[in-house]
Amino acid sequence: MSTKIKETVQALLIEGKIKGFLGLREANGNIMPHLFCDPKELDSLSLGDWKKSGDTRYPLNQMMIQLAIAYPNETFAILVRGCDERGLRELFKWKQLAEDKVILIGIGCPDELARACECEKPFPDSLLEGPQGTRVENEKVASIDKMGLEERFTFWEAEFNRCIKCLGCRNICPMCFCNECTLEEANLIDTGAVPPANPTFHLVRAIHMVGRCIDCGLCEEACPADIPLRTLYKKVGEIISKEFGYKTGFSVDEKSPFNIIEVK
Amino acid sequence: MTFLKKLLEFSGLHPDRVRTRWVSSAEAVEFVHEVSEFVEDIKKLGPNPLKAKAKEAA
Amino acid sequence: MEFKTVLSFCPYCGCGCGLLLEVLDGKIVGTLPSKTSPVNQGKLCVKGWNVHEFVISPNRLIKPMVRKNDTLENSSWDEALHLSATRLKEIKEKYGPDSIGVLTSAKCTNEENYLLQKFTRAAIGTNNIDHCARL
Repeated sequence: MSTKIKETVQALLIEGKIKGFLGLREANGNIMPHLFCDPKELDSLSLGDWKKSGDTRYPLNQMMIQLAIAYPNETFAILVRGCDERGLRELFKWKQLAEDKVILIGIGCPDELARACECEKPFPDSLLEGPQGTRVENEKVASIDKMGLEERFTFWEAEFNRCIKCLGCRNICPMCFCNECTLEEANLIDTGAVPPANPTFHLVRAIHMVGRCIDCGLCEEACPADIPLRTLYKKVGEIISKEFGYKTGFSVDEKSPFNIIEVK
Repeated sequence: MTFLKKLLEFSGLHPDRVRTRWVSSAEAVEFVHEVSEFVEDIKKLGPNPLKAKAKEAA
Repeated sequence: MEFKTVLSFCPYCGCGCGLLLEVLDGKIVGTLPSKTSPVNQGKLCVKGWNVHEFVISPNRLIKPMVRKNDTLENSSWDEALHLSATRLKEIKEKYGPDSIGVLTSAKCTNEENYLLQKFTRAAIGTNNIDHCARL
């Protein structure tokens, strides 16, 4: 399945157009992120399908930022799904990455994965391989919208109570690049208490996801307490879309209504 | 505020528990009026579920 | 130029969560949970997420130190080892082997911990050995 991607990347490397390809590698039954600098390494290329499609997705965008900081003048290629492309578009606008230094190698997500993610757009525009899937309806948010106020409160209170403040959601988020994080600010969030302030802690994170969350679902996958974080952040995206007409990651130049920073 | 109210509503907290009003420091009467009115409106909404939770924990 | 992830395991509690150390040009720059590890299935606790910190911490001791006149001073391996051996022998003779206790660490390798318990039980002659992960 990965022949087209492998060939494209191989050509880019041989022609010297990129210094490396940030993708996934399979080794000894494990799948992990890897920067392929030598075309010979591409034999171990993986697309992140271990037991199920897309079950070993990692925040490659986050690693790309680290690479760009270390090697700002080099060009790299990166493996992207629909969500990753949304993330990159935002990171370019937030000036965390340079558009001309990142080449997108896109794969589309199969129906099974798109449905599990309830994805708005399960394929990147820079599509090389894989299906151009269809938009999936949002059931999880709708089911909470149907609840009354009191029922919602009880629901979320119970979910947030299991939080162990591992900060995995923040750590794995490909859009969290702040050097100083509000969640680690002792004056705002009490230390030494688990669960952290219910629901303040999670609502604070949700607010910070405005204009940033690209609905990749890595947060929910990283939560050891199985808190439906993705549903919460999907609602955030829905509110911003309805009230401000902004859909995170869909526009190349339109900035989030909460991003007013101009860097000269 | 629009966003915050909708987020609170999704989390099970009544959006009218949060309000923004601009009052100048020279408008003491208006300030008193705004706060008193807000207190009355909140009382009508009933006790905040978070307060009940805190009492339970204590 | 090299940016790879290396599969390793959390040294803290007994769970043994699989994690990936992000290594950029030979330096550890971060940690990611391993999604293919059956133990943790792509999740980590706060300690696992920060495993890389102690490896590159500026607080890490890199030279032996000896306490002289109530202050810790930089020393040499010879001096530090000689002092430890001499004093431990003296204490063992005067107060008996059970007067000595050894505290080791989850951040040591299994091999280092094996040596330490051998040293405690066979060389010193006491069972007084423990380790932070037992808590």
